[in-house]
Amino acid sequence: MTDRTSSTTRRTAPRALRLRDFPGVGAISVVALIFLYVPIIITTIYAFNAGDSALVWKGFSLRWFGEVAQNANLMKSVWVSLQIAIVATVVATVFSILFALSVERLRAKGSAIATAILTAPLVIPEIVLAVATLGFIRLIGLPPGMTALMLAHASFCIPFALMPIRARLKGLGSSYFEAATDLGASNWQMFRRVTLPLLVPGIISGAILAFVISLDDFIISNFLSASGATPLPVFLFSLIRRGASPAVNVVATLLLVLAIVVTTITFLQSQRRSTKHA
Amino acid sequence: MTLQTTERPADPAPNQDPAPARARRTRTPRRPGQLGWLASTPAIIIGLLFTVGPLIIIIIFSFLSRPPQGGGVVYEFTLEPYIGFLFQSDFVGNTTFDPRYLSVFGDSLWQAFVTTAVCLLLSFPLALWMATRSAKLQNFLVLIVTIPFWTNLLVRTYAWMLILNDNGIVNNASEALGFGKAELLYTPFASQLGLIYTFLPFMVLPIYASLAGFDFRLAEAAYDLGARKRTVIRRIILPIATPGIISGVLLVFMPAFGSYVQPVLLGGGKVLLIGNLIASQFGDARNWPFGAALSVIILVMLLIALMAIAFYSRKSGRKVEISL
Repeated sequence: MTDRTSSTTRRTAPRALRLRDFPGVGAISVVALIFLYVPIIITTIYAFNAGDSALVWKGFSLRWFGEVAQNANLMKSVWVSLQIAIVATVVATVFSILFALSVERLRAKGSAIATAILTAPLVIPEIVLAVATLGFIRLIGLPPGMTALMLAHASFCIPFALMPIRARLKGLGSSYFEAATDLGASNWQMFRRVTLPLLVPGIISGAILAFVISLDDFIISNFLSASGATPLPVFLFSLIRRGASPAVNVVATLLLVLAIVVTTITFLQSQRRSTKHA
Repeated sequence: MTLQTTERPADPAPNQDPAPARARRTRTPRRPGQLGWLASTPAIIIGLLFTVGPLIIIIIFSFLSRPPQGGGVVYEFTLEPYIGFLFQSDFVGNTTFDPRYLSVFGDSLWQAFVTTAVCLLLSFPLALWMATRSAKLQNFLVLIVTIPFWTNLLVRTYAWMLILNDNGIVNNASEALGFGKAELLYTPFASQLGLIYTFLPFMVLPIYASLAGFDFRLAEAAYDLGARKRTVIRRIILPIATPGIISGVLLVFMPAFGSYVQPVLLGGGKVLLIGNLIASQFGDARNWPFGAALSVIILVMLLIALMAIAFYSRKSGRKVEISL
């Protein structure tokens, strides 16, 4: 099981001599990959269940997809989530572009501190950030609801938007910009005609990641939501707490499809980048 | 893959810059194609407002008193929230040692520790296996590991509710085989399993990133010099993977320690971790200062961990990037 793919160009050697293989490593990897996918696959299968129970299989049907589409409260929460995600994505992406292009102009210490501030949400346990943000918005007099949700989401989406943009910028090197300078481009022309177009793959990846992170966030959303502003994950959580149901299977499957689409798109983007600029 | 390219720092850390002290004090000259420093302020402002601001507030809240009723805080300095973590005072005013919260803290540490250990045991072989495949297969495997990573946390947790349910796959199979049913869902075991499942990709990706560019001629040289495979792993691969392992341990341990969703959904009412305790202090229990104090305890742990990593980084000369 370990060796199937490793015998690339060499003649098939005895297992002990295959330098790239280590005993047990392939077996554990397969177990880990199965462990990662079995739960997801089971949820997806049961989303197509015809029966009323989440778990008793009564045959294939798209029935629950229809019922989910007709659930007004659920659709409303989808709309709330979309609004928040769009605003958060636009703000996070624009601010990230500006930040990535200018952070080197800060003094060395300043740029390190600024980067630390912006990437802090990656390591702070979400529950801490959630209650802290709740306390903070209460203190400044902002009620929980859409505005609070949008601002908080924009903030924790920035590191995710920033990562691919910075990576792309680093990968570009300086030759394009030097050439543009030599050809007499003004700062604005350079930004609009050279920098921005070259950054596009990174910007797309960053925006998509920010969008998904916002759409998926539960804990912070849970603390900042108000009645009338219930994002999808918060609504989904209340559904799940009432127990397993085919409707939840369907929503779970749709979110899974979103994850697959998004991951594949960002993946292909980065592939294109590495073949072009490696 | 974006997640992997960001791992590799392209330029040395600013403070390691060998430029003379005078030059360091001035701003670096503007490179063509870049913007002035002012352009970085919008992002910094929103970060200050919605990341740093809340953290400062939560630290302040932890030293304030709770109002007689309802949530919020009263502006009166007290250490009561921190004292309440360890002691309980009765009506007469005697304070006695109260291990209840300490045991929640201990349970959280233990679950986070087990999560980290199991994730590490699964991730290191997986990351090594990925890194030693052909370039094409590597890309595909990264995609495969990244998909669960971007799948909604609730979805991933809910999937285990389906599996561990009384009528779920595991119980049905075990009944069919004549072993009978076992209560799996709403147990500490379920919560633990959910944590391991959720955080596995957070460990795989950084370790893989540190191994991805591994030069296999090093291993070949080791074989030529008579090293066994185990020796190659221990003396060559493990040191190369160390920055990734450290980053992965932090990215798994801290979120697992403060986890909220898995203990609630998979542990039922039987698992109380510090994350749930914090949430309940800001919810039903309406004791904001105590919830704030618990949050500060987590933040202090995080700070210690980050300082330890910085110390390791400086001592070993290897850069540990805490990013995904």
